[in-house]
Amino acid sequence: MSSARRVALAAVIVIAALYTVWAQGPAAGRPVEPTPRFADGTPNLGRVPGDKGVWDVPYIQNMGMRIPGPDGKTAAERGTAAESGGRGGAKAEPDVPFLPWARGIYDYNSRNNSKYDPEGYCLPPGGPRLMATPYPMEIIQQPEHKRIFMVFEGATHIWREIYMDGRPHPKGDELNPTYLGHSVGHWDRDTLVVDVVGFNENTWLDYFGHPHTDLLHVVEKFTRPNKATLRYEALIDDPGAYSRPWTVAWNIPWNASGELTEYICQENNRYLQKLTDDFGEPVLGGR
Amino acid sequence: MRMKLLLATTAIALLAAAAAVAAHHSFAAEFDASKPFKLTGVVTKVEWQNPHTIFYLDITDERTKKVTNWSFEMGSPNGLMRNGWTRNTLKVGDEATVEGSLARDGSPHGNARTVVLTSSGKRLFAASSQTEAQ
Repeated sequence: MSSARRVALAAVIVIAALYTVWAQGPAAGRPVEPTPRFADGTPNLGRVPGDKGVWDVPYIQNMGMRIPGPDGKTAAERGTAAESGGRGGAKAEPDVPFLPWARGIYDYNSRNNSKYDPEGYCLPPGGPRLMATPYPMEIIQQPEHKRIFMVFEGATHIWREIYMDGRPHPKGDELNPTYLGHSVGHWDRDTLVVDVVGFNENTWLDYFGHPHTDLLHVVEKFTRPNKATLRYEALIDDPGAYSRPWTVAWNIPWNASGELTEYICQENNRYLQKLTDDFGEPVLGGR
Repeated sequence: MRMKLLLATTAIALLAAAAAVAAHHSFAAEFDASKPFKLTGVVTKVEWQNPHTIFYLDITDERTKKVTNWSFEMGSPNGLMRNGWTRNTLKVGDEATVEGSLARDGSPHGNARTVVLTSSGKRLFAASSQTEAQ
């Protein structure tokens, strides 16, 4: 091998290594620290006393690219599809089991570039989009109170409470449809499993505009394989919009120096003030 | 040679990591990534507010000398602070150069990706929501 080639090869290796370090998040390149645990062995999904730290939620725009294949990896993780990958609509996503109406509304959202995304109205994300909207969040476990809080800086400065006391979901009319739904959780060894029902229909599953109905049932699995990584998996079970349940998954990196700050989306939402409907009329205000 | 490449690559990686995104509304519904701009003018107003900080520049057309007041959207105050800003980084009367994408509706409005203050030459990321491939 000539010296010029050797230099070129070395450069390629350095670039690839640096890219890998960067792509794996802030903790990469350092020794992998083990999963923090409480005294009884339960994984700690939050901070160790004395430390700072937040989960840097990634910007997952299209959950159609986050469906694990037979190898457990998603198209985005295999690098076979760009995260945003353009707007191919439903026909570009054969693994998403759309019902016909859901296919139609998804194609509509694709054509207009998610113009009517509820997050643009400063409404909260619901379901798995909580872990796909790129603002930091924290998980705070209160085992003595048998509950877990998840605190989100964005997209609308919200929290959710997960009941760990073994209660069932409310039945019938007792289940009030809400943005975040009703969450009950339990530990399956090192995995926090959260079952969520009772969603209203005011949210989308993701930025690209996969719809859902109030029949949506989400089963979330949270694991922390090492201190720097939260693996998130969600089963999307909505017989009102999809012909069978489908699963999405991605990793969320720990930011060891991060803290939550205030973010009040509703303050000066010019986007909504300017938003017009398909007939050119203002969405807000009288006709 | 190796050191230069290493530095360049590190710089690219740092730039990418520093450009934390804010995601509030659809970028593509309001702005056109195929219409980039680079404009210099004098700050007339700063709205340090959620969900987007908006600032205004008086920009003089070099040919006609006509002055137009433009508005530019950035990320939220907390996103900007994570990118090294404070509420006093841009002040009324400062001269600044902005790069980003123009609004689709043809109004004097744009999405700012970077802002350079003429006085310091400091280049700041604007926590833009422009990440989607167009």
